[in-house]
Amino acid sequence: MKPIYYNLNDLFKTLTLFDGMGISFHHHLRNGDAITNLITTEFHHRNLKKLRLFPSAIFPSYHGILTLLKADQVDTITTNYLNGPVADYFAKHGKPNSLKMQTHGGRARAFIEGENKVDIAFVTAPTVDREGRASGAQGKSACGSLGYAIEDVHYASTVVLITDNLVDALDHYQIDGTTVDAILVVESLGDARGIVSGTTSITNDPVGVKIARNATNLIQELGLIKPGFSFQSGAGGISLRVTESIKTLLRDKNITASFFSGGITKYHVDMLEEGLVKTLYDVQCFDLDAIKSIDKNPQHKAISANDYANPNNPHRIIKDLDIVILGATEIDLDFNVNVTTDSYNTIIGGSGGHSDTATDAFVSFIVTPLMKARTPIIKERVNTITTLGKHIDCLITERGIAINPRRHDLLEQLKDSHLDIVSIETLMARAHHYTGSPQKTQPKKQPIGVVEDRDGTIIDTLYTKE
Amino acid sequence: MSRSYLFIPGDVPRMLQNLDVFDADSIIIDFEDSVAIDQKDEARLLTQAFLSKHHFKELDLYIRVNDVSQKTLFEADMQAIKALNIHGIVLPKVTLEALDSVDAFFDRENITFPIIGIIETPLAVLEAQTIAKHKRIQGLLLGAEDLTKDLGTTRTLDAEEILFARSQIVFAAKAYQKEAIDTPYVFVRDEAGLAVDAQRAARLGFTAKASIHPNHVETIHHYFSPSKEAIHEAKRIVAQSKKLNSMRFSLDGSMVDKPVIDRAKALLKRAEKYGVLS
Repeated sequence: MKPIYYNLNDLFKTLTLFDGMGISFHHHLRNGDAITNLITTEFHHRNLKKLRLFPSAIFPSYHGILTLLKADQVDTITTNYLNGPVADYFAKHGKPNSLKMQTHGGRARAFIEGENKVDIAFVTAPTVDREGRASGAQGKSACGSLGYAIEDVHYASTVVLITDNLVDALDHYQIDGTTVDAILVVESLGDARGIVSGTTSITNDPVGVKIARNATNLIQELGLIKPGFSFQSGAGGISLRVTESIKTLLRDKNITASFFSGGITKYHVDMLEEGLVKTLYDVQCFDLDAIKSIDKNPQHKAISANDYANPNNPHRIIKDLDIVILGATEIDLDFNVNVTTDSYNTIIGGSGGHSDTATDAFVSFIVTPLMKARTPIIKERVNTITTLGKHIDCLITERGIAINPRRHDLLEQLKDSHLDIVSIETLMARAHHYTGSPQKTQPKKQPIGVVEDRDGTIIDTLYTKE
Repeated sequence: MSRSYLFIPGDVPRMLQNLDVFDADSIIIDFEDSVAIDQKDEARLLTQAFLSKHHFKELDLYIRVNDVSQKTLFEADMQAIKALNIHGIVLPKVTLEALDSVDAFFDRENITFPIIGIIETPLAVLEAQTIAKHKRIQGLLLGAEDLTKDLGTTRTLDAEEILFARSQIVFAAKAYQKEAIDTPYVFVRDEAGLAVDAQRAARLGFTAKASIHPNHVETIHHYFSPSKEAIHEAKRIVAQSKKLNSMRFSLDGSMVDKPVIDRAKALLKRAEKYGVLS
């Protein structure tokens, strides 16, 4: 039996709190999460200073973190993804060395190797039993996989589970309870509508459809669709369109994939149920269909960030990944990709699993329009490097495909292709034909933090916008 | 000759900018129905500026102007586009009377654009043969939505309500070696319905199909490209003709003569143009 509290104040009386302490959260409840705000607000009221925050991601609804920042109670934030008011605050008022952007796999590595030193992990868990076992797949606030919280549970000094569904005993769980120190029961973990925000629909935008078609044709020409292949795509509209096309190919060719990994959507679940893929390795559920599936289908497996993408874990799932489909806010002539900032240094996202999967997959594909709102996506140099160009293999746009010259093997394979394969410089020129050459952006201002690759290497610096 | 004619609104920069990525054989930049009355100038200026700067070698460009009965709009459209490097205009609500007005206007203004006439009234269906015969007409395009409105009926997937109009247009166009272009399929997300509709039109003898959404182009090309079987047969006919050095011979028990050989050659030429020869 673990200590169970029904009142936040009672719980906090038992915790060792001090200035400079490290606290962590996960983001599986996304914009519906009420607990990150509950806890950070309590830290604000207790006037704790120099806090080191380790949220796996920060969403627009996380106003409690913004309150701590404004009150100058935060020393550093280490996260994988950041957008909304906290990101805007950093862009305008960020202090030097106050932000570190890691990858999902890099975060797990840094927990395990002691770089991310967390004193208390506050782990929101949709269902918890009295032994501290927890599942994300059941309860009124179900979110599916708790993959990004597992290392917090194993490596934080103190672990608090927070739930709105306490049960006597759980048969199936993702957190085994052995390292759990306390349980807090609250009325609600948040707004279910924000938790299950729903998968992005498959794009019907004609430019997106063209890009997806080009991507599917390229994947086919490279001979990557074969029995036992593995695949990961994001939940973006173009990626999902590629996923849907691959579904049709698998049906037509009577091929079964070995696994799909990463964030899981109903489109992946449909393919599992149709027998087109053997296993889903799910680190994050994106919609209700995925949550239902992970609860009932043993071949839909919840995995931790460590098992998913820790570069120092020899058994990580993505080391066997054949294909990954990713997006880009910017890409440069060396194929470096930015999904972290816009051209004005505003933080608009972060790596998540971008760099992890691009590095490990046999072939990484970037799918993006060549121009967005008349802004060319290919730059001479990206504003911020999220994923190093040496890990990006193919850029697919509506106006052609560029293959990274490092991939001699792919270029050799495609030498007689009818696809419109050109150099990335040619693709940039095609964009500039319409947009003109963009003016250089303003010189960078105050440095506020760094982008850390999954192995701990610092690959770029983040700056304020003014 | 095109397989697909894709309408895009003339006042939407993103669509203009991407008109060559949709894979249509022909693009019809619209100044008429998809452009609100207070956006007409914007469409003209935008299109004029865009096409003055950008040229598309592998794409046939047309502009659907406003119908000639709206004299001010029509003439403003023509003034805006007469110097542009386009393949022709698409004329809505064509009738013999409308065509005569346009003909006179073109003569006055020394404009030589070929015209694709939209057959979208009962009168136009009845006049289709004479319209097709007109020297300025390049093709006839069925506008089934307006037509069925005038007929007091509704559009169905079976398309019985437009069978006569479709057949009339195909016969009129083919009689004068003009293009017969089928009406767009208006249910944008219904890919299965589009396939049925496109296949039916191709079987009736249409040479092309119009569309109002870029996502329809691939399906249209599937049904309006020469089939693998037809290409194979055409290759055999041409090869046998060469081998025998004859324009009249028997192949698999069927008589082959010059029109058949010419048709086979034309089919192979189209297949090559569309990239489906191999």
